[in-house]
Formats: sequence, structure tokens, C-alpha cells
Amino acid sequence: MSKIGVFVCHCGENISATVDCEKVAQVAGGYDGVVHSIDYKYMCSDPGQSLIKAAIAEKGLTGVVVASCSPRMHEPTFRKACAEAGLNPFMCEMANLREHCSWVHEKGEATTEKAIDLVRTLVEKVKKNNSLDSIKVPVTKTALVIGGGIAGIQASLDIANTGHKVILVEKEASIGGHMSQLSETFPTLDCSQCILTPRMVEVAQHPNITLYTYAELESLEGFIGNFKARIRRKSKSLDEKLCTGCGTCITKCPVKKIPSEFNEKLGNRTAIYVPFPQAVPNKPVIDREHCTYYIKGKCKVCEIVCPTKAIRFDQEDQIVEHEIGAIVLATGFSVKQPDFFPEYGYGKYPDVITGLQYERLASASGPTLGEIKRPSDGKIPEKIVFIACAGSRDPAKGIPYCSKICCMYTAKHAMLYQHKVHGGKSYVFYMDIRAGGKDYEEFVRRAIEEDGVNYIRGRVSKIYEKNGKLIVKGADTLLGAMPVEIEADMVVLASAGVANEGSETLAQKLHVSYDAYHFFAEAHPKLKPVETNTAGIFLAGACQAPKDIPESVAMASGAAVKVAALFSQDELTREPLIAAVNRQPAPVYSICVGCGLCISTCPYQAIGWEEIKTRNGELIKKIAKVNPGLCQGCGTCVAFCRTKAIDIQGYTHDQVYSEVMALLNEY
Amino acid sequence: MDELKNKVRELLGSGTVKVFIGYTTGTAGTKRALFAEKPEDAEGLVFDSSCIQNLAVYVTKQEVKEKGMMGISATLPVMRSLVQLARENQVSDSGIKVIGITPESRLIDFGNLSEVEKYIHQFQLEIDQKNRDMLEKLDKMTVSERWQFWLKELEPCFKCYACRAACPMCYCHRCTVEYNQPQWIPVPSHASGNLQWHIMRAVHLVGRCIDCDACANACPLAIPFNLLNKRMIEDARKHFGGYQPVLSGDHLMSTFKPDDKENFIR
Amino acid sequence: MAEFEPKIVAFVCNWCTYAGADLTGTSRIKYASNVRIIRFPCTGRIDYMLLIKAFDEGADGIIVSGCHPNDCHYTSGNFHARRRWIMFRDLCNLMGIDMQRIKFSWVSAAEGAKWAEVVNSTVTDIRALGPYEEYRRILNHHSKEVTNG
Repeated sequence: MSKIGVFVCHCGENISATVDCEKVAQVAGGYDGVVHSIDYKYMCSDPGQSLIKAAIAEKGLTGVVVASCSPRMHEPTFRKACAEAGLNPFMCEMANLREHCSWVHEKGEATTEKAIDLVRTLVEKVKKNNSLDSIKVPVTKTALVIGGGIAGIQASLDIANTGHKVILVEKEASIGGHMSQLSETFPTLDCSQCILTPRMVEVAQHPNITLYTYAELESLEGFIGNFKARIRRKSKSLDEKLCTGCGTCITKCPVKKIPSEFNEKLGNRTAIYVPFPQAVPNKPVIDREHCTYYIKGKCKVCEIVCPTKAIRFDQEDQIVEHEIGAIVLATGFSVKQPDFFPEYGYGKYPDVITGLQYERLASASGPTLGEIKRPSDGKIPEKIVFIACAGSRDPAKGIPYCSKICCMYTAKHAMLYQHKVHGGKSYVFYMDIRAGGKDYEEFVRRAIEEDGVNYIRGRVSKIYEKNGKLIVKGADTLLGAMPVEIEADMVVLASAGVANEGSETLAQKLHVSYDAYHFFAEAHPKLKPVETNTAGIFLAGACQAPKDIPESVAMASGAAVKVAALFSQDELTREPLIAAVNRQPAPVYSICVGCGLCISTCPYQAIGWEEIKTRNGELIKKIAKVNPGLCQGCGTCVAFCRTKAIDIQGYTHDQVYSEVMALLNEY
Repeated sequence: MDELKNKVRELLGSGTVKVFIGYTTGTAGTKRALFAEKPEDAEGLVFDSSCIQNLAVYVTKQEVKEKGMMGISATLPVMRSLVQLARENQVSDSGIKVIGITPESRLIDFGNLSEVEKYIHQFQLEIDQKNRDMLEKLDKMTVSERWQFWLKELEPCFKCYACRAACPMCYCHRCTVEYNQPQWIPVPSHASGNLQWHIMRAVHLVGRCIDCDACANACPLAIPFNLLNKRMIEDARKHFGGYQPVLSGDHLMSTFKPDDKENFIR
Repeated sequence: MAEFEPKIVAFVCNWCTYAGADLTGTSRIKYASNVRIIRFPCTGRIDYMLLIKAFDEGADGIIVSGCHPNDCHYTSGNFHARRRWIMFRDLCNLMGIDMQRIKFSWVSAAEGAKWAEVVNSTVTDIRALGPYEEYRRILNHHSKEVTNG
């Protein structure tokens, strides 16, 4: 005999503003099997939860329905409250009266009717709930960090310093990411590499960190605490144990004119190369697409000059497997090439460059050794124009969102220009200035007031070349849209920050959600910024959304502590909402007829066979069996089974049938 | 057929087979199944074009299986059913010996089910023209007209479940229709009860039905519900390239292609 | 006579569409109140018989919604579901069940606005089709009257 308690929450005014909560509680109280039905202002608060616990104790409730917000919000809260009062937590269900009802409908009878229907549905469902015990699984205390930029580095160090092992996988030949490409960082104008490289070295030397560079994630199986990762270590054509990093091979390589990706194509590199001098590990890789040996079968100069005979031309990719407990995604972002704005002439005029290319020019170890020089003729520009929002905040051609860091780095670029080119004139065309961080506003004011950068509020409509100069035509909206024309020597476009190419493929491998721009999706935009909807996978840095270095580092540390929290337990409790094949006493043993067609429906290969034998070992029947360690609870097999021999807790045949019946009767 | 009778006598006499399933003449000249256990029983075997029941339905019955090794005279539909049943682990080489009867009434002594599979794959699983025309006629009706058509056709159905009894693929110990907690399929033979039963059966046969018509032939009211199964076979060809019974490998409905095409999902 | 308000049941998956509907709520986007959601772990769990049962119990329209292909939280549940729907839809269509009354969609957890759109367009369409009289006429086990109000 069911004794259900219904608790309708006002959620302050969030629900009660449009739903008549009192009426819902009153109607629910009249249902068969409901022995307690109240409404209250804040069910999730302490006094609210006490009401539930008291009712369980006093009335011996066998089931609880909390009609409030989304179960994705507070199901754990209320289940815990029930458990504390002695009721099995899985006898508690939630009716979503807020996100699915009060917040999306107008106040009125129809809305209250809907709320009543939703409560009734869950009351009928909970009558069919079973008491369940959580499943305990062991946790592998090794973390996988994908991406070796500043976020990945920070996360790896933080996790490693808690005493757990970390596998750091980076797809380029060196860790460091975009931060290693920067010259100086705002708002302090710290030299980027100077603050980054000690961290990079720490990662390489940390006893708890295994670093795989020039490697990518091949596949991932399993679930939280029990992942199995296969990592492809791309062949560097090098025996890393023998290589001393002397660099002789690089100096002798005859193929010298490959545009350097690290220098954003402003300089060249060789076919055997390290991305930058401070690379970690400081061991070269051979770019097989440009190396003469791989193209024509000739050369091999590097092999000849290598003092330790470390070159291995026939080395193949290697796949390594690791058991992993948690994953931090820190794959960063890319810069959107502004060639979709033909008006700006990017790609047409060599002196129209992106912000990241400017970083390389300004960098002391860059292709111009820190001097701001025009890519076309190497002259120092006397007039330079910076265009903010070159691609961002543009629903028509670019991306609609704000890339967050460009206002700051444009101010920085202009300041660096003024510091390096005395007497030079710099102009910034902007729409707004977004300088929200600590010391950020002061930094921008410094650029304007102390370094004399000219800020013009307006957009640029066209850039064209005339007599060796770049004519920049824009407008000054603060002077009534007065047209402005500047004869510039160089133009820097603050290009948009976008998700990396192929990030949706990585997301699909990991079953992590991503948004329309292919940035990885956080579990909750306010309260769970470093978690994803996939248990055990966390986010750090710009792969979630464009952000600057302090934010990336903070997020990385946040993700690291989530991982550490996971690893602080020896066993993880998994929700027992998994499938199981029907079992019965002899002589039936099971409704399952052993057709085995369900086996291929399972994405986790969780269904196998069970042989039912007599005491003498004779086979009576072979039926399907679900491995409780692997089943993730999708229920595909359950809907597929013709004879309903397989059922899933939490969404049993009985429960879903009751829900449909309850919903539509008296609807 | 003398050849068949000799073969069966030999199989039973040597003890290779303990029960042989074939056709015999029953009441008023109708054909029914024969379960020959002694060599003499083979005398009752017949075969002609009116032998249309699907004998494979018996190979999953406990009463037949417990006699020991089975033998069966199998026309093409029976062969297809046997292969599908083998795929679904209901029958295997260690339990059955198949004597095939080709469309030209030639006998094939199959060594094992693999040979049966190879034989049946020579023939496409296709709907005949008459039924295709009927389905096209239905397609040309409006939705309402089709609804009225089926309500009228299914109206006489009184839930005898002969269709289920005759179908070799309906071997579940406990059919969904036998659940009453909750009552998935309404028991009474009213419009909605009949509708749900026939839809459910058609759904459960998607990818498994081999178009033997045993169900429609068994129906005492000659209701053409096998049109539903035939449409599903056509659809399987249209959307997924069709299917054939196979001893192992992908089943139409428990696998998928990432690029399955549809145009009705927003 | 009051305007006909269709009764619509939505069978949705927990990880995408349910979360997407939550986002619609958090974003306070308003939509028609005719739809009631039943939660499933995955679209793969949705039994075809439940859709027929919904009509059997008086629903005028049904929405079935889940994760976009390749984005299923359980990798492939929605692929299996899609294959089933392709066949089931044709079967129901052959039987004369009005397939305009069953809407299928992919709504991700980030598509709050799309969910509102799906609901609103479904309600508009079903309202135009009217109550599912043809089906209601064959329901013997309820004493509901088949009326428009």
C-alpha cells in the first residue's frame, strides 16, 4: 500500500507567481495513495527539507514527490534528505514545476492545471519505484589532461601536486600553447615566456606527470573513475631517449623555407624543427609532409650529423593505453583568420596582420627579434592602425559573440608599439572598450593617457593600398560619424577567438556536449563552470569560451580540485539506474528467450550471456546478462526487447506506462 | 514424394534424426504437419503446392525438441525461417537436419545450416506484384480512408492469435500480450485492442519477417494483416537496403548507420 | 465554445531535450502550455507502444525529441531510436494513424529557444488539425465524451 508524500514548492515567487501551489497541493492530497500533501515557500532550504523528513518519520511515507525545480537542479538534495530520514533515496521523484511550467507560461488556470498534471504523473510513477542501492565502483587515480597550454599546464601541476598521477597529452611538438606565442601579457606587461617557461619545465620534471607531446587522444571508453584512453603518439622520427636537444640537425636541415606555424607564418622553419627555442621537450620532430626524405627518399642530413644517432626515419605512430579516472579538457582556442572581410584586405596586403601575428613581431624571440617591422619590406611603421572587433560581435559575417580579450590586447599592442617606436603614431578603431578585470581599466587608460594611443570610436569600412601606404577609411562616431582616413604603414586586426577545428570530433569521442560555436559546454553556466554533463570530464581554459590568462589559470585550478575531490574517494557511488535481465525461479529461469538481438544495441557492450545449468553442468538455457559495471542506463535494449525481458531501474516498463496513463487521464 | 520418403525412412531408421517434421494430408484433404518418429511414419509424407504452412514454427516447441534431433522438410520460406531462428539462437546444427525442397520440387540434403544460408541468399526477399499493387492502392488513399479501411478489415478479428501461433518468429515464452501488469495490449477484440495487437506484432517482426504468409493463411477470417509485414519488408529495402536472414551478423533493427536518412525530424 | 486546446505529450531524453527545456525555463522564454513532458534517459528507451498508448488515452498530439545525431550522451541511443521511428512511422501511416500528430525533433541542451519553437509550432499544427476524433471514437474503455471543449 503506497503512502506518498507530495511537497509543492513556491520557490519564493518563482513558481507561485504563475502556479497556484496551494491548489496543486490540495488536489494532489486527494489522489489515491497520497497521505500527505503540503506546499511551502522553499522546499530546498533547511526548514523545507525538515518538513520532508518529519513527514517521512510521522506518516511512514513510502514515496516522496517534490514538485519544484528541475530534477537536474535538486534531485540529489532531496534524495539525500529522504535518505537521512530513513527512506530509500530512489523513492523520491521530482516534478518540474519551475523550468518546465511556471517560468515558461503565463499565470492562469491552464498553468496550474499543467502543474497538477505533472505532479499526478510523478505520483503514479513513484508508486512503482523500487528501493535501490547505489553501486560502488573503484576509482583509478590517474588524470588525463588533454591540451598543454597554460590551462592544461596549470591543471596538470595542481593535480600532480595533490599526489596523483597525470597524463598530459599535447598535439603540438611542445607544450605552451598560445601563451608561448605572446610577447608581453596584460595588465602587467610581464614577458609571457618568462612566466610560462618555468611552469613548462616544472611539468616536464614533475615525477607525477607523464608528458606526451605530438600526441592526440585516439579513443576513450568507460565512465567516471574507470576510463580507458588510447593515445596516439605520432611519430617524431626520433628516439627521444638518445636525443640531447643539441639542435645540430636543425641548423643543417636544407629545407628551410616552411612557413612557421608558431610564428603565424611570418617566419620560416626547417623540416626537422622545434617550434620555438624554449620548447618543452626541447627535442625536434620531423615534419613528414615537407621533409625531402619522406617526399623523395633523399637527403637524411639530420641522421648523418646527429651525434647520438637519434634519428629514426621508419618510426611509426605508437598507440598507448592508459586507465584513467578523470579527464580535464584544456584544448584552447584558435584565431579566426579575417579573410572573410575582403574589405580589410587580409591575405591581400602583407602588412594587414592579425593580433597573434603582431605578438610574434613584438616578441623578442620572434621573426623580427622584437622589432615592429612591416612584413612586406621590413621597414618600421610610422603609423599603425589597430582595428578592434575584426570578426567578433558580427552576426552577419563573423561570430556574434565577443572574444573578450581583444580590447585588452589591442591596448597592449598599441602600448608596445609606442614603447618600441618612439615618435610613432598609433590609432585604435573600437566599438566599445571591454576592460573588466583587475587593473584592466587602468591599463587601457595608461595606453590612452600616458602612451598617447589615439582611440577612435568607429568602424573601418575599407582598407586599400595607395602609393605603398594602406589607406584606412573609418568613421569617428563621437564626432558625429565624421569620416576618418588614415595613411597607415601597418594594420593589425583584432581577430575573433573561435573553437579549434575538430573540437566537435573530440567532444563526440568523449561524449561531451558542445554549443553552436563548438566550444565545449559547461554543466551549468553559473554554478558548474568547470564541469561538463559527462561525469568525470572537466573543462579548463579557452576551450569552453574565449578567456584571458588569469581566468584560464583559475579555471584550471578549479578543474584540478574537482579531479582531486573525485580521487579523494577510493570508491565512487554510481546511480543504480541500470538495466537487468529478468530472472525467475525454476523452471522458467527467465522470460528472456536468448535471441541475443539486444547485444548489438548496447553502446557499451554491457550485454553478454549467462548460461543456466543443472547441478550436473548440463545447459538448460542461455540468456542475456547485463554487466552492471558497464551499463550506463540508456535503456535502448529495454525498448528493443520484444518480450520485455530486460528492464531498467528508474524507467521501468511499469513506471513509464504509469506515467503515460496518469498524465492523460484527468488531463 | 518417394525420394523424400526414402530419405526420411533412412534418417529415422539410422537414428540420425529422432523426429522428422513434414507435411501430411489431414481432414478433408487439408495439409497439416506430420511428426514422423518411426520409419513407417514416413509413409504419410506428402508434398505439393498446397503445403504452405511454415513448418519451422515447430522447431522451437519444447514437445518437439525434447524428442531429440529434429529433421525437417523445408521449402524456401521454411529455410529462411530456420536461418533466422538460428541467428536468434533458437535452433542450431546440433538440433536439426534440413532437407530442402526447391521451387522445382528437387530435394537438397543440406549438410548444415551454413549451406541453407548460402542457398537462400540466392533469392531476394521481395514482395510479389499482387501485394505491391495492394499496398500502392492503400498509399493512394488519404490517411482517413486508410484508417477506415483497417478499422473495417480488423473489425471481425476476435483475437484468436492464430496468426501468432502459426508464425515461426513468434516463439517468445511470454508474449507482450500476456502482460497484465501493466496491460500493454488491451485484451478485448474491440477496435483499439485489435489495432494495438496488429501494430505491435508488425513492429516486433520488422527485420525478422520472411514473408511466408503463414499468419494470414492461418487466420480464420482471412484478414490481410500480412500487408503490414509486407510494407515493413518494402520499407527495409527502401530505407536500409533490405535484409536477409543470416546466421550471424547485423540485425536490421539492432544496428544503425550514422547516416540513416530521414526527413521528418526537425 | 472555448477554443480547442490540444493535449500533447512529449517524450524526451534527459540529457538533451529535457535540459534544453530547462534552459528555455531559465531563459524565461514563454511557450504554449499544452505540452507535458515525460522524462526518459535516452530516446533509445522510448517504446513505440507508448506512443500508441498516448493516443489511446486521449492525446491529440505527441512530440518525441532527443539529442542530435552524434551527440547522444550514450553514444548511439538516438541512432537506434531514429531507425525505429523511420519504420514505425511508415507502419502507422499505412494503418491510417495521422502522422502529422507525431512530431520528431532533435533539441540539444543548448537549444532552449528551439524547444519553445518546437512546442509552439506543434501546438499550432495540432490545433489546426483539431482533436483526434477518429482515434477517440474507437476508445471503448473510457467514459470521456468526444467533444470540442
